[in-house]
Amino acid sequence: MGVLDRLRLDGRLAIVTGAGRGLGRAMALALADAGCDIVAAARTRPQIEETAEAVRALGRRCLVVPTNVTDPASVEAMADAAAAEFGRIDVLLNNAGGATAGMGKPVDEITDEEWRLGIDTNLSGTFYCCRAVIPHMLAQGGGKIINVTSGFGLRGGRDNFMYTSSKAGLINFTRSLSMTYADRNIQANLIAPGLFPHDNPAMVEWWRGGKFVPMGRLGRDEELGPLCVFLASDLSSGMNGGILALEGGGLAGGHAPTGFAPVVPLERET
Amino acid sequence: MVLEGFSLNGNTALVIGAAGPIGRAIAVALAEAGADVAVATTTRAQREEVAANSCANEIWVLNRRGFAQAIDAAAEADVRALVERAVSELGRLDILVNAHDLPYAKPFAGVTPEEWRRVLDVNLTGVYLACRAASAPMLERGAGRIINVISLLAERGMVNGAAYCAAQAGVMNLTRALALEWARSGVTVNAIGAGWTEGMAFLDDEDARRQMERYLPAKRLARPEEIAGIAVYLASDAAEYLTGQVVWLDAGALSHV
Repeated sequence: MGVLDRLRLDGRLAIVTGAGRGLGRAMALALADAGCDIVAAARTRPQIEETAEAVRALGRRCLVVPTNVTDPASVEAMADAAAAEFGRIDVLLNNAGGATAGMGKPVDEITDEEWRLGIDTNLSGTFYCCRAVIPHMLAQGGGKIINVTSGFGLRGGRDNFMYTSSKAGLINFTRSLSMTYADRNIQANLIAPGLFPHDNPAMVEWWRGGKFVPMGRLGRDEELGPLCVFLASDLSSGMNGGILALEGGGLAGGHAPTGFAPVVPLERET
Repeated sequence: MVLEGFSLNGNTALVIGAAGPIGRAIAVALAEAGADVAVATTTRAQREEVAANSCANEIWVLNRRGFAQAIDAAAEADVRALVERAVSELGRLDILVNAHDLPYAKPFAGVTPEEWRRVLDVNLTGVYLACRAASAPMLERGAGRIINVISLLAERGMVNGAAYCAAQAGVMNLTRALALEWARSGVTVNAIGAGWTEGMAFLDDEDARRQMERYLPAKRLARPEEIAGIAVYLASDAAEYLTGQVVWLDAGALSHV
Protein backbone atom coordinates (compact mmCIF):
# COMPACT_ATOMS: atom_id res chain seq x y z
CA MET A 1 0.00 0.00 0.00
CA GLY A 2 1.39 3.39 -0.97
CA VAL A 3 2.23 6.02 1.56
CA LEU A 4 -0.69 8.26 0.52
CA ASP A 5 -3.18 5.38 0.86
CA ARG A 6 -2.30 5.21 4.55
CA LEU A 7 -4.07 8.56 4.97
CA ARG A 8 -7.45 7.08 4.01
CA LEU A 9 -10.04 6.76 6.78
CA ASP A 10 -12.66 4.65 5.00
CA GLY A 11 -14.99 2.81 7.33
CA ARG A 12 -13.82 4.60 10.46
CA LEU A 13 -15.82 6.67 12.87
CA ALA A 14 -14.73 9.99 14.36
CA ILE A 15 -16.37 11.92 17.17
CA VAL A 16 -15.83 15.63 16.69
CA THR A 17 -16.82 17.89 19.57
CA GLY A 18 -17.56 21.51 18.80
CA ALA A 19 -18.36 20.38 15.27
CA GLY A 20 -20.96 23.05 14.64
CA ARG A 21 -18.71 25.75 13.30
CA GLY A 22 -15.21 27.11 12.87
CA LEU A 23 -12.33 24.70 13.15
CA GLY A 24 -14.50 21.85 14.39
CA ARG A 25 -16.70 22.02 11.33
CA ALA A 26 -13.68 22.32 9.01
CA MET A 27 -11.95 19.35 10.62
CA ALA A 28 -15.12 17.22 10.61
CA LEU A 29 -15.53 17.85 6.88
CA ALA A 30 -11.88 17.02 6.19
CA LEU A 31 -12.19 13.73 8.09
CA ALA A 32 -15.35 12.93 6.15
CA ASP A 33 -13.63 13.83 2.89
CA ALA A 34 -10.91 11.29 3.76
CA GLY A 35 -13.56 8.60 4.21
CA CYS A 36 -14.62 8.83 7.84
CA ASP A 37 -18.14 8.74 9.27
CA ILE A 38 -18.77 11.46 11.83
CA VAL A 39 -20.51 11.97 15.13
CA ALA A 40 -21.06 15.72 15.33
CA ALA A 41 -21.29 16.76 18.97
CA ALA A 42 -21.87 20.33 20.11
CA ARG A 43 -24.36 22.29 22.13
CA THR A 44 -26.29 24.01 19.36
CA ARG A 45 -28.37 21.57 17.32
CA PRO A 46 -29.04 23.78 14.26
CA GLN A 47 -25.30 24.29 13.74
CA ILE A 48 -24.39 20.62 13.96
CA GLU A 49 -27.33 19.80 11.69
CA GLU A 50 -25.68 22.04 9.09
CA THR A 51 -22.34 20.27 9.57
CA ALA A 52 -24.15 16.93 9.25
CA GLU A 53 -25.71 18.00 5.94
CA ALA A 54 -22.27 18.88 4.61
CA VAL A 55 -20.85 15.53 5.81
CA ARG A 56 -23.70 13.64 4.12
CA ALA A 57 -23.12 15.61 0.92
CA LEU A 58 -19.65 13.99 0.92
CA GLY A 59 -21.30 10.57 1.02
CA ARG A 60 -20.58 9.78 4.66
CA ARG A 61 -22.86 9.02 7.55
CA CYS A 62 -23.26 11.59 10.30
CA LEU A 63 -24.96 11.31 13.67
CA VAL A 64 -25.97 14.54 15.36
CA VAL A 65 -25.72 14.46 19.16
CA PRO A 66 -26.32 17.71 21.03
CA THR A 67 -23.72 17.57 23.80
CA ASN A 68 -22.44 19.74 26.60
CA VAL A 69 -18.85 18.63 27.18
CA THR A 70 -18.79 20.21 30.65
CA ASP A 71 -21.50 17.77 31.74
CA PRO A 72 -20.16 14.20 32.27
CA ALA A 73 -23.62 12.65 31.88
CA SER A 74 -24.15 14.39 28.55
CA VAL A 75 -20.74 13.18 27.35
CA GLU A 76 -21.37 9.57 28.44
CA ALA A 77 -24.69 9.59 26.60
CA MET A 78 -23.01 10.92 23.47
CA ALA A 79 -20.29 8.24 23.49
CA ASP A 80 -22.90 5.50 24.07
CA ALA A 81 -25.02 6.85 21.20
CA ALA A 82 -21.96 6.86 18.91
CA ALA A 83 -21.02 3.29 19.81
CA ALA A 84 -24.63 2.09 19.48
CA GLU A 85 -25.03 3.64 16.03
CA PHE A 86 -21.66 2.77 14.50
CA GLY A 87 -20.36 -0.11 16.64
CA ARG A 88 -16.93 1.50 16.95
CA ILE A 89 -15.13 4.76 17.78
CA ASP A 90 -11.82 5.15 15.96
CA VAL A 91 -11.07 8.83 16.40
CA LEU A 92 -11.91 11.29 19.16
CA LEU A 93 -11.29 14.91 18.22
CA ASN A 94 -11.68 17.05 21.33
CA ASN A 95 -12.19 20.39 19.68
CA ALA A 96 -14.89 21.94 21.89
CA GLY A 97 -13.51 24.85 23.85
CA GLY A 98 -12.38 28.39 23.49
CA ALA A 99 -12.40 31.70 25.26
CA THR A 100 -14.90 31.95 28.09
CA ALA A 101 -16.33 34.70 30.31
CA GLY A 102 -13.60 36.39 32.32
CA MET A 103 -11.02 36.33 29.51
CA GLY A 104 -9.30 39.70 29.49
CA LYS A 105 -9.44 40.21 33.24
CA PRO A 106 -6.46 40.35 35.60
CA VAL A 107 -6.42 37.47 38.05
CA ASP A 108 -7.62 39.52 41.02
CA GLU A 109 -10.91 40.24 39.25
CA ILE A 110 -11.75 36.70 38.11
CA THR A 111 -14.72 35.11 39.89
CA ASP A 112 -14.97 31.49 40.98
CA GLU A 113 -17.62 30.88 38.34
CA GLU A 114 -15.46 32.32 35.54
CA TRP A 115 -12.49 30.23 36.62
CA ARG A 116 -14.52 27.01 36.79
CA LEU A 117 -16.24 27.64 33.48
CA GLY A 118 -12.90 28.19 31.70
CA ILE A 119 -11.26 25.09 33.18
CA ASP A 120 -14.40 22.98 32.69
CA THR A 121 -14.83 24.00 29.07
CA ASN A 122 -11.27 23.50 27.91
CA LEU A 123 -9.74 20.91 30.24
CA SER A 124 -12.42 18.93 32.09
CA GLY A 125 -14.50 18.59 28.92
CA THR A 126 -11.64 16.78 27.20
CA PHE A 127 -11.16 14.57 30.27
CA TYR A 128 -14.85 13.61 30.28
CA CYS A 129 -14.77 12.78 26.57
CA CYS A 130 -11.60 10.68 26.88
CA ARG A 131 -12.98 8.82 29.89
CA ALA A 132 -16.17 8.01 28.01
CA VAL A 133 -14.53 6.97 24.73
CA ILE A 134 -11.34 5.15 25.76
CA PRO A 135 -13.16 1.98 26.96
CA HIS A 136 -14.65 1.63 23.47
CA MET A 137 -11.22 2.10 21.89
CA LEU A 138 -9.62 -0.46 24.21
CA ALA A 139 -12.38 -2.96 23.45
CA GLN A 140 -11.84 -2.67 19.69
CA GLY A 141 -8.03 -2.71 19.92
CA GLY A 142 -6.99 0.92 19.56
CA GLY A 143 -7.84 4.42 18.47
CA LYS A 144 -6.67 7.96 17.91
CA ILE A 145 -7.23 10.91 20.22
CA ILE A 146 -6.59 14.42 18.98
CA ASN A 147 -6.70 17.22 21.54
CA VAL A 148 -6.68 20.88 20.64
CA THR A 149 -4.28 23.11 22.54
CA SER A 150 -2.99 26.53 21.54
CA GLY A 151 0.12 28.66 21.42
CA PHE A 152 -1.32 30.00 24.67
CA GLY A 153 -0.83 26.53 26.12
CA LEU A 154 2.90 26.96 25.57
CA ARG A 155 3.25 30.67 26.35
CA GLY A 156 1.53 32.94 28.83
CA GLY A 157 -0.74 35.81 27.94
CA ARG A 158 -1.52 39.04 29.72
CA ASP A 159 -4.99 38.95 31.34
CA ASN A 160 -5.35 35.43 30.00
CA PHE A 161 -5.66 32.87 32.79
CA MET A 162 -8.33 30.22 32.32
CA TYR A 163 -7.47 29.77 28.66
CA THR A 164 -3.67 29.52 29.12
CA SER A 165 -3.97 27.30 32.20
CA SER A 166 -6.45 24.89 30.66
CA LYS A 167 -4.63 24.70 27.32
CA ALA A 168 -1.32 24.06 29.12
CA GLY A 169 -3.08 21.44 31.24
CA LEU A 170 -4.25 19.71 28.07
CA ILE A 171 -0.67 19.27 26.93
CA ASN A 172 0.42 17.27 29.93
CA PHE A 173 -2.94 15.50 30.11
CA THR A 174 -2.31 14.31 26.57
CA ARG A 175 1.29 13.28 27.28
CA SER A 176 0.07 11.19 30.19
CA LEU A 177 -2.64 9.66 27.98
CA SER A 178 0.01 8.78 25.42
CA MET A 179 2.16 7.04 28.01
CA THR A 180 -0.73 5.24 29.68
CA TYR A 181 -2.17 3.67 26.53
CA ALA A 182 0.95 3.45 24.34
CA ASP A 183 1.09 -0.33 24.64
CA ARG A 184 -2.62 -0.70 23.81
CA ASN A 185 -2.54 1.04 20.45
CA ILE A 186 -4.19 4.32 21.41
CA GLN A 187 -2.24 7.33 20.20
CA ALA A 188 -2.98 10.74 21.69
CA ASN A 189 -1.58 13.88 20.10
CA LEU A 190 -2.20 17.61 20.17
CA ILE A 191 -2.72 20.21 17.54
CA ALA A 192 -2.06 23.85 18.32
CA PRO A 193 -3.82 26.09 15.81
CA GLY A 194 -2.61 29.66 15.52
CA LEU A 195 -5.01 32.47 14.66
CA PHE A 196 -7.93 31.29 12.54
CA PRO A 197 -10.61 33.94 11.91
CA HIS A 198 -13.07 31.55 10.17
CA ASP A 199 -13.89 34.12 7.47
CA ASN A 200 -15.18 36.46 10.17
CA PRO A 201 -14.24 40.01 9.11
CA ALA A 202 -14.31 41.27 12.71
CA MET A 203 -11.74 38.65 13.73
CA VAL A 204 -9.56 39.43 10.70
CA GLU A 205 -9.66 43.08 11.68
CA TRP A 206 -8.97 42.29 15.35
CA TRP A 207 -5.89 40.29 14.39
CA ARG A 208 -4.82 42.92 11.84
CA GLY A 209 -4.97 40.43 9.02
CA GLY A 210 -2.11 38.53 10.64
CA LYS A 211 0.53 41.06 9.72
CA PHE A 212 2.37 40.38 13.00
CA VAL A 213 2.44 36.63 12.33
CA PRO A 214 5.88 35.69 10.94
CA MET A 215 4.29 34.25 7.81
CA GLY A 216 2.34 37.47 7.41
CA ARG A 217 -1.14 36.03 7.32
CA LEU A 218 -3.83 34.35 9.38
CA GLY A 219 -4.67 30.66 9.16
CA ARG A 220 -7.30 29.32 6.81
CA ASP A 221 -9.81 26.81 8.13
CA GLU A 222 -9.12 24.42 5.27
CA GLU A 223 -5.47 24.20 6.37
CA LEU A 224 -6.34 22.47 9.62
CA GLY A 225 -8.25 19.68 7.91
CA PRO A 226 -5.22 17.91 6.43
CA LEU A 227 -3.37 18.07 9.77
CA CYS A 228 -6.33 16.47 11.48
CA VAL A 229 -6.58 13.78 8.80
CA PHE A 230 -2.86 13.07 9.18
CA LEU A 231 -3.15 12.61 12.94
CA ALA A 232 -6.28 10.46 12.58
CA SER A 233 -4.66 8.21 9.97
CA ASP A 234 -2.26 5.28 9.97
CA LEU A 235 0.40 7.53 8.44
CA SER A 236 0.96 9.06 11.89
CA SER A 237 0.76 5.74 13.73
CA GLY A 238 4.14 6.18 15.43
CA MET A 239 3.38 9.65 16.69
CA ASN A 240 2.20 9.71 20.30
CA GLY A 241 2.16 12.49 22.89
CA GLY A 242 3.28 15.06 20.34
CA ILE A 243 2.23 18.59 19.47
CA LEU A 244 1.80 19.87 15.94
CA ALA A 245 1.46 23.64 15.84
CA LEU A 246 -0.02 25.12 12.69
CA GLU A 247 0.49 28.81 13.25
CA GLY A 248 2.66 30.47 10.65
CA GLY A 249 5.88 30.49 12.67
CA GLY A 250 4.97 32.51 15.78
CA LEU A 251 6.14 29.97 18.32
CA ALA A 252 9.57 29.53 16.75
CA GLY A 253 10.56 33.01 17.86
CA GLY A 254 9.42 32.78 21.43
CA HIS A 255 6.91 35.54 20.84
CA ALA A 256 3.58 34.12 19.88
CA PRO A 257 2.51 36.14 18.10
CA THR A 258 5.42 38.52 17.61
CA GLY A 259 5.10 41.86 19.31
CA PHE A 260 1.39 41.62 19.84
CA ALA A 261 -0.67 39.97 22.51
CA PRO A 262 -4.12 39.37 21.07
CA VAL A 263 -7.04 38.85 23.38
CA VAL A 264 -9.46 36.50 21.74
CA PRO A 265 -12.94 38.06 21.65
CA LEU A 266 -15.47 36.24 23.77
CA GLU A 267 -17.25 33.35 22.17
CA ARG A 268 -19.69 31.56 24.35
CA GLU A 269 -20.57 28.64 22.13
CA THR A 270 -18.41 25.57 22.07
CA MET B 1 -10.46 16.41 -1.95
CA VAL B 2 -8.42 16.75 1.20
CA LEU B 3 -6.04 13.91 0.36
CA GLU B 4 -4.86 15.59 -2.84
CA GLY B 5 -3.09 18.19 -0.71
CA PHE B 6 -0.65 15.49 0.45
CA SER B 7 0.43 14.45 -3.04
CA LEU B 8 3.96 15.32 -4.10
CA ASN B 9 3.37 14.73 -7.81
CA GLY B 10 5.58 17.03 -9.85
CA ASN B 11 7.83 17.87 -6.91
CA THR B 12 11.53 17.17 -6.63
CA ALA B 13 13.43 16.38 -3.45
CA LEU B 14 17.00 16.04 -2.27
CA VAL B 15 17.67 13.81 0.74
CA ILE B 16 21.11 14.04 2.34
CA GLY B 17 21.93 11.18 4.69
CA ALA B 18 19.92 8.64 2.72
CA ALA B 19 22.30 5.83 3.64
CA GLY B 20 20.91 5.82 7.16
CA PRO B 21 17.63 4.11 7.99
CA ILE B 22 15.66 7.30 8.53
CA GLY B 23 16.95 9.20 5.50
CA ARG B 24 16.36 6.16 3.34
CA ALA B 25 12.77 5.69 4.55
CA ILE B 26 12.03 9.37 3.96
CA ALA B 27 13.48 9.30 0.44
CA VAL B 28 11.39 6.27 -0.49
CA ALA B 29 8.22 7.72 1.07
CA LEU B 30 8.65 11.02 -0.80
CA ALA B 31 9.00 9.03 -4.02
CA GLU B 32 5.91 6.95 -3.17
CA ALA B 33 4.01 10.20 -2.63
CA GLY B 34 4.98 11.28 -6.15
CA ALA B 35 8.27 13.18 -5.94
CA ASP B 36 11.44 12.69 -7.94
CA VAL B 37 14.19 12.17 -5.37
CA ALA B 38 17.96 12.59 -5.42
CA VAL B 39 19.84 11.05 -2.52
CA ALA B 40 23.28 11.61 -1.04
CA THR B 41 25.46 10.19 1.68
CA THR B 42 26.66 11.94 4.82
CA THR B 43 30.28 10.80 4.43
CA ARG B 44 32.31 9.16 1.68
CA ALA B 45 32.42 5.82 3.52
CA GLN B 46 31.93 3.04 0.98
CA ARG B 47 29.12 1.33 2.90
CA GLU B 48 27.19 4.61 2.75
CA GLU B 49 27.67 4.85 -1.01
CA VAL B 50 26.39 1.30 -1.42
CA ALA B 51 23.34 2.07 0.73
CA ALA B 52 22.60 5.30 -1.14
CA ASN B 53 22.79 3.48 -4.49
CA SER B 54 20.37 0.87 -3.25
CA CYS B 55 18.03 3.64 -2.08
CA ALA B 56 18.15 5.22 -5.54
CA ASN B 57 17.27 1.82 -7.00
CA GLU B 58 14.20 1.70 -4.83
CA ILE B 59 13.20 5.14 -6.10
CA TRP B 60 13.61 4.02 -9.74
CA VAL B 61 11.49 0.95 -9.05
CA LEU B 62 8.72 3.36 -8.01
CA ASN B 63 9.04 4.94 -11.45
CA ARG B 64 10.47 8.19 -10.16
CA ARG B 65 13.57 9.94 -11.36
CA GLY B 66 16.58 10.42 -9.11
CA PHE B 67 20.23 9.67 -8.54
CA ALA B 68 22.60 8.76 -5.75
CA GLN B 69 25.77 10.66 -5.00
CA ALA B 70 28.50 10.10 -2.43
CA ILE B 71 29.53 13.32 -0.70
CA ASP B 72 31.21 14.56 2.41
CA ALA B 73 28.32 16.59 3.80
CA ALA B 74 30.77 18.84 5.64
CA ALA B 75 32.56 19.85 2.42
CA GLU B 76 31.12 22.98 0.88
CA ALA B 77 32.17 22.14 -2.68
CA ASP B 78 30.55 18.70 -2.44
CA VAL B 79 27.27 20.12 -1.19
CA ARG B 80 27.16 22.91 -3.77
CA ALA B 81 27.85 20.48 -6.61
CA LEU B 82 25.18 18.12 -5.28
CA VAL B 83 22.51 20.81 -5.24
CA GLU B 84 23.52 21.99 -8.73
CA ARG B 85 23.24 18.44 -10.03
CA ALA B 86 19.84 17.97 -8.41
CA VAL B 87 18.50 21.17 -9.94
CA SER B 88 19.92 20.44 -13.39
CA GLU B 89 18.92 16.75 -13.55
CA LEU B 90 15.53 16.99 -11.86
CA GLY B 91 14.65 20.43 -13.22
CA ARG B 92 13.96 22.18 -9.92
CA LEU B 93 14.23 21.67 -6.18
CA ASP B 94 11.16 21.79 -3.94
CA ILE B 95 12.15 19.74 -0.92
CA LEU B 96 15.41 19.41 1.01
CA VAL B 97 15.71 16.78 3.72
CA ASN B 98 18.75 16.98 5.96
CA ALA B 99 19.07 13.56 7.55
CA HIS B 100 22.79 13.94 8.25
CA ASP B 101 23.81 11.57 10.94
CA LEU B 102 27.30 10.97 12.24
CA PRO B 103 26.79 9.17 15.54
CA TYR B 104 29.49 9.78 18.11
CA ALA B 105 29.80 8.86 21.79
CA LYS B 106 32.84 9.17 24.02
CA PRO B 107 33.55 10.36 27.56
CA PHE B 108 33.87 14.13 27.26
CA ALA B 109 37.37 14.41 28.75
CA GLY B 110 38.70 12.25 25.92
CA VAL B 111 37.07 14.14 23.06
CA THR B 112 39.86 15.73 21.03
CA PRO B 113 39.36 19.10 19.33
CA GLU B 114 39.56 17.29 15.97
CA GLU B 115 36.81 14.86 16.93
CA TRP B 116 34.63 17.66 18.31
CA ARG B 117 35.05 19.64 15.08
CA ARG B 118 34.23 16.65 12.90
CA VAL B 119 31.02 15.86 14.82
CA LEU B 120 29.93 19.51 14.65
CA ASP B 121 31.07 19.87 11.03
CA VAL B 122 29.01 16.98 9.73
CA ASN B 123 25.94 17.13 11.98
CA LEU B 124 25.52 20.92 12.23
CA THR B 125 27.64 22.75 9.67
CA GLY B 126 26.64 20.19 7.04
CA VAL B 127 23.01 21.22 7.53
CA TYR B 128 24.00 24.87 7.27
CA LEU B 129 25.80 24.20 3.98
CA ALA B 130 22.87 22.29 2.55
CA CYS B 131 20.34 24.93 3.61
CA ARG B 132 22.49 27.65 2.10
CA ALA B 133 22.96 25.91 -1.22
CA ALA B 134 19.39 24.62 -1.59
CA SER B 135 17.64 27.76 -0.40
CA ALA B 136 18.94 29.83 -3.31
CA PRO B 137 16.67 28.22 -5.93
CA MET B 138 13.83 27.93 -3.40
CA LEU B 139 13.89 31.61 -2.43
CA GLU B 140 14.13 32.57 -6.08
CA ARG B 141 10.93 30.66 -6.84
CA GLY B 142 9.26 31.70 -3.58
CA ALA B 143 8.51 28.11 -2.58
CA GLY B 144 10.31 25.36 -0.76
CA ARG B 145 10.28 22.88 2.07
CA ILE B 146 13.25 22.16 4.30
CA ILE B 147 12.99 19.27 6.75
CA ASN B 148 15.79 18.67 9.24
CA VAL B 149 15.90 15.30 10.94
CA ILE B 150 17.25 15.74 14.43
CA SER B 151 17.63 13.45 17.41
CA LEU B 152 15.82 13.65 20.72
CA LEU B 153 19.32 14.34 22.01
CA ALA B 154 18.72 17.89 20.75
CA GLU B 155 16.37 18.25 23.69
CA ARG B 156 17.89 15.90 26.27
CA GLY B 157 21.45 15.21 27.30
CA MET B 158 23.18 11.84 27.26
CA VAL B 159 26.20 10.46 29.07
CA ASN B 160 29.17 10.40 26.66
CA GLY B 161 27.13 12.31 24.08
CA ALA B 162 28.22 15.93 24.62
CA ALA B 163 29.44 16.67 21.10
CA TYR B 164 26.51 14.93 19.42
CA CYS B 165 23.96 16.56 21.77
CA ALA B 166 25.43 20.01 21.11
CA ALA B 167 25.31 19.52 17.36
CA GLN B 168 21.72 18.27 17.40
CA ALA B 169 20.55 21.17 19.56
CA GLY B 170 22.27 23.47 17.08
CA VAL B 171 20.26 22.07 14.19
CA MET B 172 17.04 22.40 16.21
CA ASN B 173 17.47 26.10 16.76
CA LEU B 174 18.87 26.67 13.27
CA THR B 175 15.51 25.29 12.14
CA ARG B 176 13.55 27.86 14.18
CA ALA B 177 15.72 30.81 13.18
CA LEU B 178 15.58 30.00 9.46
CA ALA B 179 11.83 29.43 9.67
CA LEU B 180 11.36 32.97 10.92
CA GLU B 181 13.82 34.46 8.47
CA TRP B 182 12.07 32.86 5.51
CA ALA B 183 8.52 32.93 6.85
CA ARG B 184 7.38 35.36 4.17
CA SER B 185 9.41 33.78 1.37
CA GLY B 186 7.30 30.68 0.87
CA VAL B 187 10.02 28.44 2.30
CA THR B 188 9.07 26.51 5.43
CA VAL B 189 11.69 25.00 7.72
CA ASN B 190 10.73 22.29 10.19
CA ALA B 191 12.42 19.51 12.09
CA ILE B 192 11.43 15.95 12.82
CA GLY B 193 12.77 14.88 16.19
CA ALA B 194 13.55 11.19 15.95
CA GLY B 195 13.68 9.11 19.07
CA TRP B 196 15.39 5.75 19.43
CA THR B 197 14.72 4.22 16.05
CA GLU B 198 15.16 0.80 14.44
CA GLY B 199 18.48 0.59 12.63
CA MET B 200 20.28 3.31 14.60
CA ALA B 201 23.99 2.72 15.15
CA PHE B 202 23.61 3.63 18.82
CA LEU B 203 21.43 0.55 19.25
CA ASP B 204 23.73 -2.03 17.67
CA ASP B 205 24.34 -3.42 21.11
CA GLU B 206 21.59 -5.90 21.97
CA ASP B 207 21.62 -5.08 25.69
CA ALA B 208 21.31 -1.35 25.02
CA ARG B 209 18.42 -2.03 22.71
CA ARG B 210 16.53 -4.22 25.19
CA GLN B 211 17.05 -1.67 27.95
CA MET B 212 15.71 1.06 25.68
CA GLU B 213 12.61 -0.95 24.76
CA ARG B 214 11.80 -1.47 28.44
CA TYR B 215 12.20 2.24 29.14
CA LEU B 216 10.10 3.61 26.28
CA PRO B 217 6.37 4.11 26.93
CA ALA B 218 5.55 2.43 23.62
CA LYS B 219 7.70 -0.57 24.67
CA ARG B 220 9.28 -0.58 21.25
CA LEU B 221 11.61 1.51 19.13
CA ALA B 222 10.30 4.01 16.60
CA ARG B 223 10.29 2.81 12.99
CA PRO B 224 11.85 4.72 10.09
CA GLU B 225 8.61 4.47 8.05
CA GLU B 226 6.74 6.26 10.83
CA ILE B 227 9.17 9.14 10.67
CA ALA B 228 8.82 9.17 6.88
CA GLY B 229 5.05 9.65 7.22
CA ILE B 230 5.61 12.95 8.99
CA ALA B 231 8.10 13.99 6.31
CA VAL B 232 5.48 13.46 3.60
CA TYR B 233 3.04 15.68 5.46
CA LEU B 234 5.61 18.42 6.12
CA ALA B 235 6.77 18.33 2.49
CA SER B 236 3.28 18.66 1.07
CA ASP B 237 1.06 21.61 0.20
CA ALA B 238 -1.09 20.60 3.17
CA ALA B 239 1.56 21.95 5.56
CA GLU B 240 2.01 25.38 3.99
CA TYR B 241 1.18 27.24 7.25
CA LEU B 242 3.40 25.05 9.43
CA THR B 243 6.91 26.36 10.01
CA GLY B 244 9.54 26.54 12.73
CA GLN B 245 8.23 23.44 14.46
CA VAL B 246 9.88 20.32 15.82
CA VAL B 247 7.64 17.30 15.40
CA TRP B 248 8.75 14.52 17.73
CA LEU B 249 8.41 10.87 16.91
CA ASP B 250 10.05 9.23 19.86
CA ALA B 251 7.92 6.30 21.11
CA GLY B 252 6.98 8.56 24.01
CA ALA B 253 10.50 9.21 25.31
CA LEU B 254 10.02 12.97 25.72
CA SER B 255 6.73 12.56 27.56
CA HIS B 256 8.78 11.12 30.42
CA VAL B 257 9.79 13.21 33.39
